[in-house]
Amino acid sequence: MLATVAAVAGVVVRGLHKGFGPITALAGVDLEVQPGTVHGLLGPNGAGKTTLLRALLGLVRLDAGRIDVEGVVAGFVEVPGAYPYLTGRQNLEFLAALDDDPGDVSEALDLVGLMDRADTKVSGWSLGMRQRLGIAAALLRRPDVLVLDEPANGLDPQAARSLRQLIAGLTADGLTVLLCSHDLAEVDALCEDITVLLAGRVAWTGTVSELRARPGRSVLTTSDDVLARQLRPRAMAATDDADGGLVVLGDTAAVDAYVLTLAQHGVAVRSLRQESLPLEEAFLELTR
Amino acid sequence: MTVLRAELRKLAAQTRVRVLLLVCLLGPSLFAVVLGLQSGLPKDTLFGRHVHDSGYALPLVILGFAGMWGFPLLTSLVAGDIFSSEDGHRTWAAVLTRSRTRGQVFTGKVLAACVVATGLLAVTAITSVLAGLALAGHSPLTGLSGDALPPVRAVLLVLASFATVLPPLLGFTGLACLLSVVSRNSVVGVGGPVLLGLVMQLLSLLGALGSASNALLTTPFAAWHGLVREQPFYGPLWQGALVSLGWAVVCLAVARRVLLTRDVT
Repeated sequence: MLATVAAVAGVVVRGLHKGFGPITALAGVDLEVQPGTVHGLLGPNGAGKTTLLRALLGLVRLDAGRIDVEGVVAGFVEVPGAYPYLTGRQNLEFLAALDDDPGDVSEALDLVGLMDRADTKVSGWSLGMRQRLGIAAALLRRPDVLVLDEPANGLDPQAARSLRQLIAGLTADGLTVLLCSHDLAEVDALCEDITVLLAGRVAWTGTVSELRARPGRSVLTTSDDVLARQLRPRAMAATDDADGGLVVLGDTAAVDAYVLTLAQHGVAVRSLRQESLPLEEAFLELTR
Repeated sequence: MTVLRAELRKLAAQTRVRVLLLVCLLGPSLFAVVLGLQSGLPKDTLFGRHVHDSGYALPLVILGFAGMWGFPLLTSLVAGDIFSSEDGHRTWAAVLTRSRTRGQVFTGKVLAACVVATGLLAVTAITSVLAGLALAGHSPLTGLSGDALPPVRAVLLVLASFATVLPPLLGFTGLACLLSVVSRNSVVGVGGPVLLGLVMQLLSLLGALGSASNALLTTPFAAWHGLVREQPFYGPLWQGALVSLGWAVVCLAVARRVLLTRDVT
């Protein structure tokens, strides 16, 4: 079956399964994207992100599961395509001719900053310009949900900043954006919510601040660091802090249990400082 | 119809299609110029010995040549690329997420390929007649039965003969579309039908298939021979039309099924 589309809030994905021959790309993915928000989709290569985006765009047949989307979905996966023998404007005019109620071509070109090159053939365009044309093509569809796969790929810092401002402006107007990116700074700047995929499954979902607040580093100073190191649970990683003391990784409950164990063995905890992880470390920790 | 119009506009912008149109416009005239400069005649082809006697012989010589590989190539250059170029340019995602369904996109593309093939055939027919008239004037044409066909009848028969290759031409269009969809590769889409056409021609020449050669898609290209006689016969025309229709329907049905159910990756 192809992805089904029905009127619900934002995007709701339930139990999505998709395989390509012996390879399982998606193994029961559930996802909810709130309307009018930017939702980040993260994960290492081969995690199933692109397949999920293709499923949302109705480009692949689902083995099982259901996708409910409020309104029209548009966007691109991987590198957006274009006809090199047509100009940028002609490319959009061709796509607009396939729509019932397309947006204005000039307006879309202007929105992504391509007006000055609109009447030149795409064959001479850079990757960044093609990315922007891909975004214009998606916006021309007047989407309610915009699916973007590495949209800042090939953009210079100035253009990347303009893109972030554009996306922020679009969501302020009520557009829902599902953004797949390896650029965690971009995700941090744009996304309210994040879903992390790992081996075709959802490894974690929540807000950016919740991801940051996941069990981070705890720095302890004790009366006997050598014994404290010996007493730590086997699963708890520990290193020496540059400023002295012991750095352990674990959630709050694990650290509490560790502190009680130290007390039972006569090791005094003189200080305990819990630190949240930078987004990149939190992501790496999650997908390790 | 919106997909058809959009596809035709897109095709019109392609250099390949413009070159094809130019070849169909100028090719017959260049052929006439070459024949005019030569003392010898293409006597081993039907009507070849009459190209200097009647202006209506030249278009039939061109028709005979083109039926061998020219028409399969002509339509393959458009139809064999019309689907696979979307794979090559990575544009399926943009095309298939618009308001039009996959089925509508398929139909529009096939119709566009058919329109271009038919248009190029019509251009070739008209320019061939004009080139022939410029070369040898409008004297009566000697038919295959040895009878003299007056100019008005001759020009009608020439145009009718060109019209009879439309069914196999569209059959090859269907075959090219199928290879384009299934292979997702323009080299296969364009080269495959030409190669298969040559193999079919070879099998016919060797007589390896007996009466089964009537089911080959290249056989109807010669069905017009029955028209330019004192007592015309139409059996091969109807048979050729049915064979071509069969090839086109089967190829397009499979191509449509593949496109509608495939994953766009």
